[in-house]
Amino acid sequence: MAQVLGYHRPTDLEEALELLAQTTLHPILLAGGTAASASGDAPVTAVDLQALGLDEISTDGDRLRVGAMVRLQDLVDHPQVPSLLRDLARRELPSTLRSLATVGGTIGAGTWESELLAGLLAFEAIATVRSVGAEIEVPVSDVLLGDRAVLEGGIVTEISFSLDGNAAAARTGRTPADTPIVAVVGRRLPDGQMRIAMTGVAATPVMVDDASTVQPPADFRGSSEYRRALAIALSARVHAQLGA
Amino acid sequence: MSTNITIQLNGVARTLRAEPGESLRAVLRAAGCFSVRYGSDSGETGAAAVLLDGRLVSADVVLAMQTDGHEVTTLESMNQHELHPIQVAFLAVGAFQGGYSAGAMILGTKALLDRDPDPSEGEIRDMLSGILDRESAYLKPVEAVKRAAAVLRGEATEPFRPEIVAPMTDGRTAVDVDPSDVGPDVSPAVPRLILSKDVPEMTIVGKPELKVDGVKLVRGNPAFTDDIDLRGMLHAKVLRSPHAHARIVDIDDGEALALPGVHAVIHHRNVPRILHATGGQSWPNPLPYDQVSFDSKVRHVGDRVAAVAAETPEIAEAALKLIKVSYEVLPFILDEREAMLPGAPMIHDEVDAVGIGDASRNLVVHLGGDTFGSDVDAEWANADHVFEHTFRVHQVQQCPIEPHITIAWLDEDERLVVRTATQVPFHVRRMLAPVVGLPVRRIRVVKPRIGGGFGAKQEMAIEDIPSHLALMTRRPVKLELSRQEEFESSRTRHPQTITYRTGVMNDGTLHVQEMRVIGNTGAYGTHGYTVQNVTGLRGLSSYNAKHKRFHCDVVYTNIPVPGAYRGYGAPQAEFALESHMEDIALQMGWDPMEFKRKNWVKVGDRLDIVTRLGERGESLDLPWDQLPMVMTSGIEECVAQGKRAIGWHRRTDPAWIAPADRPNIRRGIGFAFCMHGSAIPFVDMGGCSMKINDDGSFNLAAGAADLGTGADTVMSQIAAEVLGVPLEDIIAYTGDTDHTPFDVGAYASSTTYISGMAVKKAADELRWKIKKRAARMLGVDQPCEIELHDRRCWAADGRSVSLEDVALDTLHTVDQEQLTGTGSHFSEDCPPPFAAQFVEAEVDVDTGQVTVIKMVMAVDCGVAINPITASGQVEGGMVQALGYAHCEEFAFDADGAMSNPSFGPYKIYRADEMPDLEVYLVQTMEDSGPFGAKAVAEIPKDGVAPALRAAILNATGVAINHLPFTPERVWSALHGHAMRDQPYVG
Repeated sequence: MAQVLGYHRPTDLEEALELLAQTTLHPILLAGGTAASASGDAPVTAVDLQALGLDEISTDGDRLRVGAMVRLQDLVDHPQVPSLLRDLARRELPSTLRSLATVGGTIGAGTWESELLAGLLAFEAIATVRSVGAEIEVPVSDVLLGDRAVLEGGIVTEISFSLDGNAAAARTGRTPADTPIVAVVGRRLPDGQMRIAMTGVAATPVMVDDASTVQPPADFRGSSEYRRALAIALSARVHAQLGA
Repeated sequence: MSTNITIQLNGVARTLRAEPGESLRAVLRAAGCFSVRYGSDSGETGAAAVLLDGRLVSADVVLAMQTDGHEVTTLESMNQHELHPIQVAFLAVGAFQGGYSAGAMILGTKALLDRDPDPSEGEIRDMLSGILDRESAYLKPVEAVKRAAAVLRGEATEPFRPEIVAPMTDGRTAVDVDPSDVGPDVSPAVPRLILSKDVPEMTIVGKPELKVDGVKLVRGNPAFTDDIDLRGMLHAKVLRSPHAHARIVDIDDGEALALPGVHAVIHHRNVPRILHATGGQSWPNPLPYDQVSFDSKVRHVGDRVAAVAAETPEIAEAALKLIKVSYEVLPFILDEREAMLPGAPMIHDEVDAVGIGDASRNLVVHLGGDTFGSDVDAEWANADHVFEHTFRVHQVQQCPIEPHITIAWLDEDERLVVRTATQVPFHVRRMLAPVVGLPVRRIRVVKPRIGGGFGAKQEMAIEDIPSHLALMTRRPVKLELSRQEEFESSRTRHPQTITYRTGVMNDGTLHVQEMRVIGNTGAYGTHGYTVQNVTGLRGLSSYNAKHKRFHCDVVYTNIPVPGAYRGYGAPQAEFALESHMEDIALQMGWDPMEFKRKNWVKVGDRLDIVTRLGERGESLDLPWDQLPMVMTSGIEECVAQGKRAIGWHRRTDPAWIAPADRPNIRRGIGFAFCMHGSAIPFVDMGGCSMKINDDGSFNLAAGAADLGTGADTVMSQIAAEVLGVPLEDIIAYTGDTDHTPFDVGAYASSTTYISGMAVKKAADELRWKIKKRAARMLGVDQPCEIELHDRRCWAADGRSVSLEDVALDTLHTVDQEQLTGTGSHFSEDCPPPFAAQFVEAEVDVDTGQVTVIKMVMAVDCGVAINPITASGQVEGGMVQALGYAHCEEFAFDADGAMSNPSFGPYKIYRADEMPDLEVYLVQTMEDSGPFGAKAVAEIPKDGVAPALRAAILNATGVAINHLPFTPERVWSALHGHAMRDQPYVG
């Protein structure tokens, strides 16, 4: 758990943004708390977003809009969420943490091993980011790939993603429920276009056109060479599952 | 600054004080909700799970402030006068052992069943996925949820009891198993029990009695070490080394001491330097004595540098940051094979350490060198074939969900009281005394309820720190390790490099066998000598060979300290031995099981190694006819039951091995022969005392330590059987150095066999006194004619007096006396339990991913005193062993620090990913054990790794000699890439 020296629970976005702007407080956004618990021991002030009402799921044409404070367990339980994304949300965390963790917090953490984030990339997720006097929409892929400046001083209020197409995933881990060493999530769009996203091959989940080109970092669970081999093998499986 | 928060706590509006950064767990515990327990700060253990607005959440990662205005529910909400049906269901199936996380499981079950009264097994396992259990393998918790759901739906349920399965053999002879025979169709949580004609019918022993300590666990009552709150208690924190190997050049505690709220700072400059060994073992502790409370040198990342006692944990943490330490960083080594190479850094260069073999070469001790029976060097030439294989086994942690925790204080007589999560209260008292400068009589060690130990708590790992601080401050002091400290600073399993060389005759008979081991004892010696001795004992016991040799170098490195871990050197040895035997068989064209069967020890065989190696340490030179002999073995029945349960015949079917519809999958089945021991012969001793109460009930006081193993229940069953009373009439109290007789503690599979026999002796003595009193009351001349059953003493003519009558007579009426019985037991025998372990697995040949489909273990543990608790031991042990084989391992960064010191990166199995499991208990009648019992606690750790290796070999034709079988390691083997065979450093 971070060393939390102050706690605020703003009741509207403006108040939250004002708190976020007070850099002397070293504010951190508190969504579910599961990511904050791992954010080191630097002194911070928690800005708890629970009273902002960002917890709705609704349809918008052929897209689903999901509030940033929607819990991962709510994604698992929601019938309009594509079944693959529901499964990825379930796999993201065990029950006692999944019931706390939020969609917004997952994007904020940007963990390189997040299958859910890979799924959101495959489903063309777009994040709505609210900052003082502005609201922009930005692809989640851009946020993860390095355009994290858009999050500075801003708050992800919701995401939306496509609902069409067919999707499949493949993964390799030490055990069936292990966080995968490499996971590949693919989506075949109605026009036949393929979107392939991967975990475990870059600093964040990324879209990948050619698995043989990835340059993965290494850790004790997988060398770079091995991760590249997994990317190629699992990508081929996902393509095969989707008939591509 | 603390603030008031208002929550609906268990249905009642409560206003509580909370600091901004305070976790919900901490605030709830301060409010008296002791069922909310600490497992880690990041919440993966689920021991602190509560309902937040009806959702099951981990209270570790929820700020208390976040819950202001919300509804919080803990297990305490369910505690009415009568147990809730869910609590009853968990009790009925024996769903927990230590019970540390029982509250979370029960609460999660309530939330699940409130939402869905008829959940699928998948939904049940998903709910449990957030509550890690290191003991049960989740089989019985899942069964408990199903049972509770059925009860709450109004359905009738049958008593939970073992399934009696007909024997398939005559007890000695191997049989063919009909592939069409599928075995019993009952829940996997139900132990399959194969009865022996040699075992007499009994009333309490052998029956599925409910755990005697169950109610306090299902209610979440304050039973564990942390569940007391002493007035004025201080909180200790330990400053740990960031370096794998360094000299402390200077340490300045001035700023830390000046911090308001800090009461003491201790380190090597103000704590006496008393050399000792921390392994919890009998006197005299084995050498070397190479540890002090605080040293001027650190030898692994996480080693002790200093400790602080302060008003709050936060102040103590802040004080640690104010201690200024200057280090001279030294080179380090992690791999045992590098420890004795020229130029390796000398890890123990202190001049006062006692008993290090050759500190300049990092050699703790050299073991063996003995030749058992004849000249081994000469015998290689007499063998028709010689095979040699080398194996490497890695470092893993016991991972009790309850971390190490100790609270120390001075009582009203100014004696030091140490309430601690330990397996060895009596050893801790004796070992702690010189370290803190007190005589043994001035120390009382109390073992409360323990949330798992698995050997990690067979150690005086932390008790000296709060004791020093309590003596210094004269205030109670609590020290609880964080999960990271538990990984880096408690104890682990010894990595080893093992080479077997075996000479075999043309007919498949083993002629000569040699085992060479380099054992890695890390930064300190502690259990290094004895664990490696047991590696030799177990590694050379299972198979008969005329000539045997053991050589072992125990060496220092800079890894976190290995110590005792359930199995105690055997899992390493049995992985190597079984794999070696498998490979020899295949190279000689034998069926591996037949080759092993030809050579494994059988009834009547002498255990020629038992007196030479093992935890006892010293070799006993006994003539052949006085060597321990195997008196009972149910191995053939175990093999037959296991083969049927696993579907052994499939392993030779090519179409099954390589399914046509799954081109990347290969399937295989592996088998391992397992043999363990029951206690340490010539060493282990346990004591028990019993007395009768006014109502005819009995107090049982024993020094044994129930770690969740069911020991209190088993001992109570033994006493109840002897005294002819139901289990509820036995009140067990254990593990308190002031109030119970001595016992070596809970290790070496000794509790049932040794402590259980001490209980039987005490109960036998008390029964005789009761008989004499009853005979006098009934006018019977011969007390031996009196029988005890149904709470009464019966004369041959049918007249009887109740035990209450006897108690009132003896305590209040005539020739008043307190009827007592005492007993202690020591054994020169060490009857081996046997087991057949089977594993079915799938290998993804493209990725190297291994998926374990099913594990079956059939165990001959003599008479299982309680088949439910015994099967729980086997289930939990098997899954721990699976972690060892499959996914758990320490990895290190470039500075020698563990890079995965948390659950998740360090992977232990959770409920939603378990393979199928089945447990068979094969009875034999071991006359040297209480009511025929042998041990069961450790043998489940022995066979999974070699059986999984054999399954992978069966599936792919590739043999892998390095644990664990993680995807990249298997992929490398399959695809011919160079394999990493040392600890990962990256």
